Amino acid sequence: MSAPGKMEPAGAIARARTGDADAWGELYREYAPAIFRFCRRALPTREDAEDATMDIFMKLKDKLVQYDQSRSFTAWLYKVAANHCWDVLRRRKTRQDKETEDVENVPLEHPDPNQLDKLIEQRSSEEVRRALERLGARARMALVMRYYSDMSYDEIADALGVRRAFVGVVLLRARHELRQALGQGGALAAGGAS
Amino acid sequence: MKEKDDSLRDDALRHLDEMTCLLYIERQLDRAKAQEVSSHTQECGACRTLLRALERESRLLTRAMLEEEEALPARLAQFQERARKSMQWIWTVAFGLAATGVYALYTGYVEPWQQQLEQAGFGGSNLLSLLIFQGALWKGWQSMITLLEVLALVTLGGFAVAFLRKRVRRGSALAIVLAGFCAALVLQPASAWASETRKGESVGVSSDETIKGDIFLFGERVRVDGTVEGDVFLFGNDANINGHVKGDVIAFAKYLQVSGTVDGNVRAFTNTLTVRGTVAKNVLTFSDLMNLESAGKAGGSLTIFVENLNLEGSLGRDILIFAKHFTLSGKVGGGIRMKGDQLTINSNAQVEGPIRYEGHKEAEVAAGAKLASPVEFHKLERRPRYMQGHYYLWRVIWTAALVLFGVVLFLLLPKFAEETIAAAEQYGAPIGLGVLVFFGVPIAAVIACITVVGIPLGILALGFWFLMLCCAEIVVGTVVGNWILGKAHDSAGLIGRMALGFVLVRIIYTGLEQMHVIGLLAALGIFMWGMGSISLALYRRLQPTIAGGAPSGPYTPPLPPNTTVGGIQPA
Repeated sequence: MSAPGKMEPAGAIARARTGDADAWGELYREYAPAIFRFCRRALPTREDAEDATMDIFMKLKDKLVQYDQSRSFTAWLYKVAANHCWDVLRRRKTRQDKETEDVENVPLEHPDPNQLDKLIEQRSSEEVRRALERLGARARMALVMRYYSDMSYDEIADALGVRRAFVGVVLLRARHELRQALGQGGALAAGGAS
Repeated sequence: MKEKDDSLRDDALRHLDEMTCLLYIERQLDRAKAQEVSSHTQECGACRTLLRALERESRLLTRAMLEEEEALPARLAQFQERARKSMQWIWTVAFGLAATGVYALYTGYVEPWQQQLEQAGFGGSNLLSLLIFQGALWKGWQSMITLLEVLALVTLGGFAVAFLRKRVRRGSALAIVLAGFCAALVLQPASAWASETRKGESVGVSSDETIKGDIFLFGERVRVDGTVEGDVFLFGNDANINGHVKGDVIAFAKYLQVSGTVDGNVRAFTNTLTVRGTVAKNVLTFSDLMNLESAGKAGGSLTIFVENLNLEGSLGRDILIFAKHFTLSGKVGGGIRMKGDQLTINSNAQVEGPIRYEGHKEAEVAAGAKLASPVEFHKLERRPRYMQGHYYLWRVIWTAALVLFGVVLFLLLPKFAEETIAAAEQYGAPIGLGVLVFFGVPIAAVIACITVVGIPLGILALGFWFLMLCCAEIVVGTVVGNWILGKAHDSAGLIGRMALGFVLVRIIYTGLEQMHVIGLLAALGIFMWGMGSISLALYRRLQPTIAGGAPSGPYTPPLPPNTTVGGIQPA
């Protein structure tokens, strides 16, 4: 993945747009690891992530002509990847998770910040990754889009097909699911008062 | 207890809710609301801690997700090279087959035909223009040139637009073509349709009459005794041309006799054609029997598909003939090329050019016949097709040509190709529709052709039907390719699967073809399945897009009370 601030390979992008296979290869080498990790976080299995990475890069060949060169290529590529992964999940009908619940269940109370702090303190990255795998499709997708690829609320709304105002609710609900999966979520997710 | 509840409610009212805190750290609150949160957290330690905890949670999430705990799988590392190699292989095969197909088609079919027809006196340098634009079948085509040119240009333009701007998808290119077609129909010269029509039991042009333009004659008995300064179109049972036609004669009749003078060409689809008058130019006929009587003359060439031909009169130029029996007693100014069963040349015959004859029996040439050179005879052998080497050669050539055709179609219409293959994989619906299209379209086209105005529509429908017939095997081949290699991810993959599947289908079908009934059933199955798939994809594309057909978006529950675009308001 191109690190933030790192120059994007504009030359290779321009050449790949004209159908240059070598330039496409260059882009693949540059971006495939990041896209694979994105898919790995968003999809249930490693095989799914591998298939999705290949599909995304094959799609890229056709879609490159639609890319607006005045904007960030990395952001655009993540958008393509997010759409593809969400499509895969949606086709499998794995979105039988929290999004169908009554939205009134979103807690508005003030959770115990100390408990939350303690939970974050105690959990390793490895544990978070394992907990992520246990989340519902939409929750995981939303967290990956926001905290891995730094997509905006508008982009997340667009990819998930929800209203922009609902993105915050999706993210908060996803965090609650995550906390529950981390094993300490009971009081926190329920919003214990200080 | 009540006091404790009140205390908790007061706390909840005093503190910010988690949603507001999250939107604050994510910079999603409007300015006023953000300032409110900022002021509150300066005084409230609990809310400040919550903000900090949420921020730490965000960082933990980002760190956990960005960490590279596993390397790029070998499958993905090799994918790029494999994709490139597979594409190279596909393109090498595609272009190899393309070159073979084009070369074989040209040298095997187009060039010999062109030479034969040129030798036969048609003089046209282009087979298409000869058959269509030079009025070989229907003089009206000449007026259609404008329409066809416009249509061709618009079609090319549509493809160009689709290529240059891939965003022009779905029906746009089709819409452009159809719009161009309609415009061409509207703009074409009205004179193309200007003609006189006569119908009745017995119709014709009387001897003292002169027709200034073209004339259409429909009747049981048709006679032209007078003068027609344009073309004559005959549709009848018994037709006689005794007068003078300054244009062409195009006839669909059971019996046609030309006893008068025709300054142009005669194109006849008849049971029996007899010429005892004069035809200044060429004669083209599909007949059961043709007689060019001793008094009859044709100034140009004779192209004939006939059971029996008796030529006693004189012919100015060459003969190209596909006939069972040909008996020559008259004079031929050019050469003769014949394919048939039997050629008999009588003693009073005279031929000024070479004679090439392909048949089952040697030509019978009478002693007194005046020939420029001896008959060049090539015996046709009656071996089964599959025993002949060139049968397989031509199978390969045609396979290559059709693969080339498929490649071109898949490159020109990649989306439509995908939709057609998806339709084909539904099996039941395309086969059912295929039965309807296979039998229904030709019947409808013939009915349309009965009305003269419907001729272009009927011919277009038949042309499209034939195009679908050619594409059917390609569609079935691609489905077979998908069975073997799995679904394609892109156009190149689809083309590769098409090439592989198509070749396999051809190989299997070549074996089945020798078993007559099974071969016939296999061919029908392929045609119906393929044609049905194309029709189904077309039908779906022409349907208006409605929400129900689109992939459904995820369920969006209503927002909670007190929620605004900026986020949930504090309770």
